[in-house]
Amino acid sequence: MNLEKPIAKPSSPDQCMSCHSSTTNMDKSHPIEVFGCFKCHGGNRYATNKKDAHRGVVLNPSRLEYANRFCGECHSDVVKRVSSSMMQSQNGILNVLKFQWGELSTPIGLEGVVELKDKNSTSLAESHFRKACASCHVNQHEDVFDDKKYARGGGCVDCHRIEKGHQEKNHYVHSKLSSKIPSKNCLKCHNRSNRIGISYFGKFESEGYGTPYKHGEFSHKLDGSRFYYELPADIHHTKAGLDCIDCHTEKGVMGDGKKNHHMEDAEDIKCNDCHKPKFKKADSLAVMLSDLNGNIPETKSIAYTNKKNSPIYNLQKDKNSTKFYRKRDGKAFDMSNMSNKPYHTLDIHKRLDCTSCHSSWVPSCYGCHEVYFENGKQFDWVKREVTKGSWQEFRSFLRFESPSLGVGYNKKIMPFAPGCQVIGTLFKDKKVEKFHAMAMAGWDPHTTQKEVRSCEDCHFNPASLGLGRGNLDIKNNRIFFEPFYNSKKSGMPFSYPIDGFVSSDGKQFQTTSRKDARSFNKKELQKIVGAYKCILCHDRYSDKIYKDFNKSKILFNSGKTVCLD
Amino acid sequence: MLRLIVIFFMLGLHLNAEDCVDCHKKEAQKCQSSNHYTLSNAINITRKAWGIKDSNVTLQTIPHSKIDVKKPSDLVDDFLRRKCLKCHLNVKNSGERGMKRQRGCLACHSKHSKKGRCQTKKIAMSKCLSCHNKEFVGTDYKGLFPKDYSHSFRTPLQKDGKYPSQRYGIDFHHLNQDIHYKLGMSCVDCHNNKNGKNWKKNITCKDCHKELSKSNHKEYHSNISCSACHSSWNMSSYELSVFRDDTADYAKWKDLTLQEDAYLNKFLKKALKSKKKIKPVMPDWVDMKQKKGVWYSGWRYRRWEDMVLGVDMNGTIKILRPIFQYRVSYRDANGSMVLDDVSSVDGKPLEAWAPYSPHTITKKAKSCERCHNTEIKKGGVYSLKIPKVIYNGKALSKTQTDRLKSYKYKKIRAKMLN
Repeated sequence: MNLEKPIAKPSSPDQCMSCHSSTTNMDKSHPIEVFGCFKCHGGNRYATNKKDAHRGVVLNPSRLEYANRFCGECHSDVVKRVSSSMMQSQNGILNVLKFQWGELSTPIGLEGVVELKDKNSTSLAESHFRKACASCHVNQHEDVFDDKKYARGGGCVDCHRIEKGHQEKNHYVHSKLSSKIPSKNCLKCHNRSNRIGISYFGKFESEGYGTPYKHGEFSHKLDGSRFYYELPADIHHTKAGLDCIDCHTEKGVMGDGKKNHHMEDAEDIKCNDCHKPKFKKADSLAVMLSDLNGNIPETKSIAYTNKKNSPIYNLQKDKNSTKFYRKRDGKAFDMSNMSNKPYHTLDIHKRLDCTSCHSSWVPSCYGCHEVYFENGKQFDWVKREVTKGSWQEFRSFLRFESPSLGVGYNKKIMPFAPGCQVIGTLFKDKKVEKFHAMAMAGWDPHTTQKEVRSCEDCHFNPASLGLGRGNLDIKNNRIFFEPFYNSKKSGMPFSYPIDGFVSSDGKQFQTTSRKDARSFNKKELQKIVGAYKCILCHDRYSDKIYKDFNKSKILFNSGKTVCLD
Repeated sequence: MLRLIVIFFMLGLHLNAEDCVDCHKKEAQKCQSSNHYTLSNAINITRKAWGIKDSNVTLQTIPHSKIDVKKPSDLVDDFLRRKCLKCHLNVKNSGERGMKRQRGCLACHSKHSKKGRCQTKKIAMSKCLSCHNKEFVGTDYKGLFPKDYSHSFRTPLQKDGKYPSQRYGIDFHHLNQDIHYKLGMSCVDCHNNKNGKNWKKNITCKDCHKELSKSNHKEYHSNISCSACHSSWNMSSYELSVFRDDTADYAKWKDLTLQEDAYLNKFLKKALKSKKKIKPVMPDWVDMKQKKGVWYSGWRYRRWEDMVLGVDMNGTIKILRPIFQYRVSYRDANGSMVLDDVSSVDGKPLEAWAPYSPHTITKKAKSCERCHNTEIKKGGVYSLKIPKVIYNGKALSKTQTDRLKSYKYKKIRAKMLN
């Protein structure tokens, strides 16, 4: 392709080219010869002097306030969807925060960042959102970032730009746009909070030692003063080098036009969409997308997501095989289907989300000590100016091992980690106030492995059960647990262990990020830990006692079957 | 002869030793051969971990490091003298909270009372803990676990907006305390000089707890140390990167001034604030001279819930702890990296472990599963949890690990659970 080269004398529909003749093409779909400049940037296409020509010119037409007029002329559906998507509104973050801090009775409602825009009064949670969270949304202004390396926002280009426009010696290289979005674009934002972006690549945000020292400097730097250490990366990365977009469909990412309350409502893809796929004839969107991609063959039979019926045009079936094509370069991989082995089919684990067994670790940041200085000053990412009040974040300790489990937003059992355990200290004019809002959240940590956790790692590990780290035992069918962590003595305003989601008798200590999500209850804890007695010897799914475990238990309890000789 | 001894002690044990020796000749002589005086255990195990074979030196005989540094072992004595040996009987205390004490005999045998300082036989725990803090046994008895170094872990902030106060230059998490501590016992209640026993080494649980009532003590677990089952948590500190820097490069340590080293904390704070160029110096705690270069350090990570078992020299199963999986860097005054993250001795990893007895005893022993269900994952920093070299002991044998999952075990355990 010679797109990279400057076009000497493009025939353009606009007069703009009389000055901007050295501008390169931005991609193969929008050649300047056809589009000119005006179509995307506005201005006066007939003018021959700079002043007139640039009247009304929009430098970045992909900002959402302009996108409807420019990008939207062809992509009106997408622009509309993105404008109401969660990556733009951040309503999920704002509402959960307000819910956890007691400002909302449910974690839903409000519009998100848009609503705060014209609002002057600000609650505590809103203040925190403005200063700590609101830097990450699709339409953020790139120019407010001091370090351009971390600049986010700009509308469509936030994700789609793969190279920034710049002047070279004798030509101007136009910003390059692509539908093959590199993961690093996603990671501009998805590296904090639940940290799935970095976890996927096997990076765990560390305690900040920057060890081992290399060449006399800190190593393993993430950004700013954050560091990581290596853990096993997600198998989709290690085995096939998949990017975020290989799974995450355009509808899941750019929105489906509906106002979604939470990430999981907006999300489209599920493990079984690929690992237990249903194939259908490729629709027109699939044909268009694979054509746009250029690396992925067009075929008749492709997979679709179960939830939003989006084409997974890179998962294709022909007579002999099922192939998954990597969008970046079209590299094909044989698709492995979910097996029909007992561990996937037995009733005993039908409530488990795939992530509960297949996630090998989860970044767990215990104790999010938020400090607010009323008289401090800090940048407000919504207003884009420095305003009164500043926040600083501290922590207690970090863990990655043995993810806690609980009942997630989908009523299935999934990994949980602090999200977020806020212990707030508010330094106001003449007084100091304290509050705490302790919460755990469930999510897919994106640390998938083929190998799963052992039976005991869930059935007899107090950390996994949500009890926290400590010594767990059972006697006479009662669960005993002695935690290691002493929160009170460590200065926390509560007495349960900070890594305790639930007590051994099923009392939930902390809230969650969703209305329906919760820790295990007493009955569930007893059932899970109770099963351990059997697991001790019957440690294979293929063991006949699990075929109908309830029946086996009845038989055993009535003395009709005995264990051990 | 007596005069000679007195002179020796004047040099060896500071201050009032001269006065004490007049009457306590026997005790003074005994002290001279004690590990408290020679610190030979700590010194030699560290030298070994840095690649010196058959090391046998004491606080009194430890040499200075070579000037021409080629490998970690050339620097280990410098590291010891300036990072570790600030805890010995003759060192002047740094005045930090928790570390105030006298020198010589009075380092331990003094007590502050309203009437003034007086000598005492009953040594206060605070005297022991003025040295026995950090990663080793000591502060664990009170349930203390050092927090990570970065300022972002110094929580929760106090009402005046300041960081929580430190002891020994360390900010601590509070974990489960040792039951003996909860019952009001102090170190010397066990580690005493009664019955003519050497007061540190030879005390065992059985000296007091003669009756081991429950059958499983004898039947299955006769060669397991009490603390393997009865400790609550234990210390696993993985991979310590240490870095001696002879250049004045301080800015990058601004979030990491607290490195469990009161001198360094003060030094860095001053150096970061000062407009003048502050020379990179740190004391040699043996000859008490300021010397060039500053030692920095940082962990990979630390845990209180990990538990790895091994066997000590007597064949007793004990909990292991890493010591400390060192990686060494050294930058000289000209700015060249003489050692750049060197982690090997003759190509072998430094990842040494050793058996120890956590002082976090609980009445109720661990559940069987905490030993019998051990499973260590692989990949990334998980691998640091697998002992590669074990000092003063060895790994569990195959028979022993097989036994953890044996049919016999399962049968007994199932009976207990049902």
